[in-house]
Amino acid sequence: MKRSTAAVTALLLALTGCSSGDGGSGGDDANTLTLAGWSLATTPEFKVLADGFHAKYPDVTVALKEYDPKNYDTQMIADLAAGKAPDVYVQKTLKNFYTYQNGKQLLDVSDVASGLGSGTNGLSSYQVEGKTYAIPYRQDSWVIYYNKALFDQAKVKYPDGSWTWDDYADAGKRLTTGLKAAGSKALGVYEHVWQSTLQGFALAQSPGADLTSGNFGYLKPYYTRAVDLQKAGAQVSLGDATTNNLTYQAQFGKQQAAMMTMGTWYIATLLSQQKSGDADRFEWGIAPAPQLDKSTTGTSATPVTFADPTGMGINPKINKDRIDTAKKFLAYAGSADAAKALAGIGITPANTDAAAGTIFAIPGVPTDAVSKFAFTKHDTKPENPVGKNTAPLQNILNDLHTAVLSGSKDIDTAIAEAQERAKNEVLTK
Amino acid sequence: MTRRNTLLGWGFLLPNLAGFALLTMVPVVLLFYYAFTTWDIFGGAEWTGLDNARQLIHDAVFWTAMRNTLYYTVFHIPLTLVVSLGLALLLNKRLRAVAFFRTVAFFPYIASIVAVAQVWNMLFSPGYGPINAMLRAIGADHPPGWTTSADASMPAVILVGTWREMGYFMLIFLAGLQTVPGELYEAARVDGAGAWQRLRAVTLPCLRPTMFFVIVLLTVNSFKILDLILVMTNGGPGQSTLVLAQYVYRKGFEENQFGYASAVSVVLFLLCFLVTVVQFVVNRRREA
Repeated sequence: MKRSTAAVTALLLALTGCSSGDGGSGGDDANTLTLAGWSLATTPEFKVLADGFHAKYPDVTVALKEYDPKNYDTQMIADLAAGKAPDVYVQKTLKNFYTYQNGKQLLDVSDVASGLGSGTNGLSSYQVEGKTYAIPYRQDSWVIYYNKALFDQAKVKYPDGSWTWDDYADAGKRLTTGLKAAGSKALGVYEHVWQSTLQGFALAQSPGADLTSGNFGYLKPYYTRAVDLQKAGAQVSLGDATTNNLTYQAQFGKQQAAMMTMGTWYIATLLSQQKSGDADRFEWGIAPAPQLDKSTTGTSATPVTFADPTGMGINPKINKDRIDTAKKFLAYAGSADAAKALAGIGITPANTDAAAGTIFAIPGVPTDAVSKFAFTKHDTKPENPVGKNTAPLQNILNDLHTAVLSGSKDIDTAIAEAQERAKNEVLTK
Repeated sequence: MTRRNTLLGWGFLLPNLAGFALLTMVPVVLLFYYAFTTWDIFGGAEWTGLDNARQLIHDAVFWTAMRNTLYYTVFHIPLTLVVSLGLALLLNKRLRAVAFFRTVAFFPYIASIVAVAQVWNMLFSPGYGPINAMLRAIGADHPPGWTTSADASMPAVILVGTWREMGYFMLIFLAGLQTVPGELYEAARVDGAGAWQRLRAVTLPCLRPTMFFVIVLLTVNSFKILDLILVMTNGGPGQSTLVLAQYVYRKGFEENQFGYASAVSVVLFLLCFLVTVVQFVVNRRREA
């Protein structure tokens, strides 16, 4: 009998897992830093940063801890709450930065920020009341991707940076008719199912637009155009895209659409998919995102676009001996050296100027003047302001997105409803 | 000897019981506490008394989710009941390859829900899907948009929900049918009862314990429906398929308002509890 009780006790202990709550995980060695990442096999950026840092400081090793990309924030929040998170962790989406910062899960790294050059974009997104809590290492921005062969086939001129959204919609329709006439099944435009494809641009480009004001009238022209494009058959409807689980990589990469707007992260994906055969081999280019009006078009102006930076912050439960090393790592991640290393694998670093030379030297990357302009010159606003209301407001606006694009509600009704909900559920709380 | 047996019994129970207590019981009990706090995962939970409940009463989205959950439940339960019982009666006969058909009917229940939702979504696809192609072929000019329209999305989800669960409940009914004494059928036949009368007077009364079990399971399953909605419509278009369990998920894991999410869960719990108690009482009365 005794034996079985002992066995049960052992089992119980194994089940509960004896944990010591001494904070930051990873080696206790002062020279080993732990860094969070996701999908390490297909997302090489973490290894590039870890290796680059090790090359610069040979006595320090950066160990990677892998997370699930889809549940990254949930897992990270759980690990932080349990005191088991890595020393340095990535702010995968800006939306959740508020949760970490407000929850006191990020060390103040203002000293690192002040040491960075002016070339680092996206820093301001991580600043709260004059203090910096994360250092951006990537700063993507949304551009137009276009398929030169399909444009030629439809006899439509390539985007040259002078486009407003009306020009974009017009070109989309002409492309569709042109391609049909040429016997192609491809459509003019593909807009992915995300709310950001419309709402990100609307918020960034419309004067006076403010998500937290609860006034969403600025969305109207963007949705009117998108619904019109769907009706004209120039783009796959939201319903068909969601029910068939269309991926933007296949839509553009397999030449189902002549152009689409997407973030610059897709450059690296498209390159590797063209190499592996997951995407067709065709000539493509990028162009600045379409603009609200003519005042920001043309290569003498700075086009307004959006995208969130990706930054890194320090877990406050880090072993005290390693804080300096972690700060050095953050400084490296935001440096021009790291920018070049990241650009070498097709990633858009926060320091775009330092990286332009590297990224356009990669075989397969378009080197025309418009593509270069689109990559280097833009006023990239964050997709969302940082604050406690952002996540609930985004949920409300996602309901608007699916309701309008599925044709269940017209845009005026949907905006009125969203404003009412924002007021009742979020802003007056 | 009895002491030894008791200990041994506990020994067998303990591994599972300990896991259950630790990973299910404790969180469930804590939930009742968090429902009265504002807790955003980091830091402590601040006691706010009935604030969450007051907010709930005025929360239009909560009521939308509640309506949608009831919509799903009210249609899903009778539909699944009828279909699974029908299947069980059909497959309770000595048919050729009856095992094959039973397996086929049970298959949806064990198939991966994500894959199932994916395939159904394609079938439902308004522009390219075979369902609408068929409807058009038989003369429907404007077939429904299914998961892409606010009006037809819930019926689409209910259909798939029924299709998924019918095999499981069929199996329970099949087991129940084995307990119906054959002499009763014989006696009914001698008295000249037709097939329909035999079903009403013999089969259904004998199946009552099974029926009760199935209805309770179906009720709880319907109230807490989440996975199917998440992968098929994600609550959309608009809020047309947003259900309570998903609202809990949204508030908790997307917006980090775990206190409020707990309050919604408590409502969901009370709803399941109440309905089950009512069913229990009604069943008792009938039995008496």
